[in-house]
Amino acid sequence: MSDVYLFKLASQRTGYLSTRQTLIAENVANANTPGYKAVDLKPFAAALQETAISMAVTNPAHLTPTAQELDPPRVREADAANATVSGNSVNIEGEMVKLGEVNRDYSEATNLKKIFHQMFMQALK
Amino acid sequence: MASNDALKASLRIAGSGLETQSARLRIISENIANAQSTASVAGGDPYTRQTITFEDTLDRASGVELVRVREIGRDSSPYRVEQDPGNPAADDKGFVKLPNVDVLVELADLREANRSYEANLQVAKQSSDLMNQTVGLLKDI
Repeated sequence: MSDVYLFKLASQRTGYLSTRQTLIAENVANANTPGYKAVDLKPFAAALQETAISMAVTNPAHLTPTAQELDPPRVREADAANATVSGNSVNIEGEMVKLGEVNRDYSEATNLKKIFHQMFMQALK
Repeated sequence: MASNDALKASLRIAGSGLETQSARLRIISENIANAQSTASVAGGDPYTRQTITFEDTLDRASGVELVRVREIGRDSSPYRVEQDPGNPAADDKGFVKLPNVDVLVELADLREANRSYEANLQVAKQSSDLMNQTVGLLKDI
């Protein structure tokens, strides 16, 4: 059974935001590690565009990759201008700003899920 | 499922950050506490300032980069020397070696460790908050 598109999109969104949260956690934890380079994800829209492309199936025997999951690649932030003498490029203030973004977007996505669910229930009741 | 794992992983990462920063706070407090500790024998070396360095380490189970203490080292800068013949640690010429700890430097380091600790705490709080939001979806079904 295929996922309902709206729910799938909202899940991919929260999945993306969770991964981004993990990377922020890595950056903050390594804020004092010499030589550590900060990491981040590509914007959600760009990551979604890339994963939307899947292989064509011209024969029922063709195996489709099940990895339709959104797994955006990590990007090393090549921002050498901000690097400290120890070669660390983490900017804690910037990470805190990103943390706020993730929080807002995650709330948005979970509230959307709630609203989709209410829409279904309205139709059913 | 996967998204929840990512949030759990971020909690672990923030936890490793808190651990290393508190180790750093411990080292700083040892340095400050011993800023005046002279040798127990006449003419001997006093307390040596300790340093701490971190490194990032890949956690193979979850594929994320944690942080850990790489090394607790000793500061090799020279000791301060004072003329104080009455001090029990003074050598035969009356000079006392005092630790190479600069309290101002330690306090600056303390501030930075404090700030990093708070940042990690903020990440940990938010990760659990996001998990709660997801669980909260089940509340009014």
